[in-house]
Amino acid sequence: MAQISRDQVKEMMAEVMRRQNKVLPESEETPLDEIGFRSLDFSELALRVEDELDEELNFDAPGLRSIRTVGDVLDFIDELQKDL
Amino acid sequence: MSNPPIPAASCVVVSGGSRGLGLAIVQSILDHGAKVATFARTVTPELEALAAAHPDRVHVASVDATDAKAVTAFIKEAERKLGPVDGLVNNAAIGQDSLHVHTSPERIADIINTNLTAPLVLSRTVLRRILSGRGTGRVVFVTSICAQRGYAGLVAYSATKGGLDSAMRTIAREMHGRVLANSVAPGFFASEMSSVLGQTQLDTITRRTPTGRLVEPENVVPVIDMLLFEDTNINGQTLVIDGGGSI
Repeated sequence: MAQISRDQVKEMMAEVMRRQNKVLPESEETPLDEIGFRSLDFSELALRVEDELDEELNFDAPGLRSIRTVGDVLDFIDELQKDL
Repeated sequence: MSNPPIPAASCVVVSGGSRGLGLAIVQSILDHGAKVATFARTVTPELEALAAAHPDRVHVASVDATDAKAVTAFIKEAERKLGPVDGLVNNAAIGQDSLHVHTSPERIADIINTNLTAPLVLSRTVLRRILSGRGTGRVVFVTSICAQRGYAGLVAYSATKGGLDSAMRTIAREMHGRVLANSVAPGFFASEMSSVLGQTQLDTITRRTPTGRLVEPENVVPVIDMLLFEDTNINGQTLVIDGGGSI
């Protein structure tokens, strides 16, 4: 199963931000509420990753609630890909 | 800080667009200059004529609304032809005219599958396309006054329509800032009523309706148009269109 690299996911995340005229900071420690990255933005990112993988990444909401930083988002997508 | 208005729909999926209200919805979307992708079990000559008259703005296919894979394939094909979808009218449904105690479990399952499960799955598919495509959109559910008032012979049907109204409100909440979700809840259509009721009963119901007339598709279409195309900020609502019969 092909996987998408962390850097590729980060670029996709930046693209989601750019659509809203926002900028993704370099630091993975940056809190999401500081940059206005909301749950639907995560959904949009997950759908972009799905399109690349041609696989659905379904998940329950509690996992999403623990995400706090840019790095958490990238980790979560990594974990979802491992589960495929 | 406030969000900009969600733009008018430009490419709308309509389930069950081959006849009656569905066909009228398709025609009106085209009249508004938007594109439309519609499917039904049977493509009628009227729908074929619309597709032939607007080959660049209409995508039509024979698809069973309960076949999730076929519906997803239809939407992918529609997007290849028309561009990203940003609107949905959940219209396809089957009716009921049987007391609950005389309705088989299999028939109840059919009604729930067609009228509740299928539109939920279709909505999921379109919302996913909206999120990964244009980013914003509008969704309309065609429900029924039966979801709010009790009518004999419509137990399973009413349950599905009430379920859709509930789902609509939750979609409006989940998709906040991205999608306007609403329902239109027509009263009984004159044509439907006349098929199961006698003229005396029809006259009685009409007399009890404050406007003095039953609902016609042309009463419902402008409300759906408003929800698809106008900047109203209406979201998470069920708009009843019944001449005041239920008040």
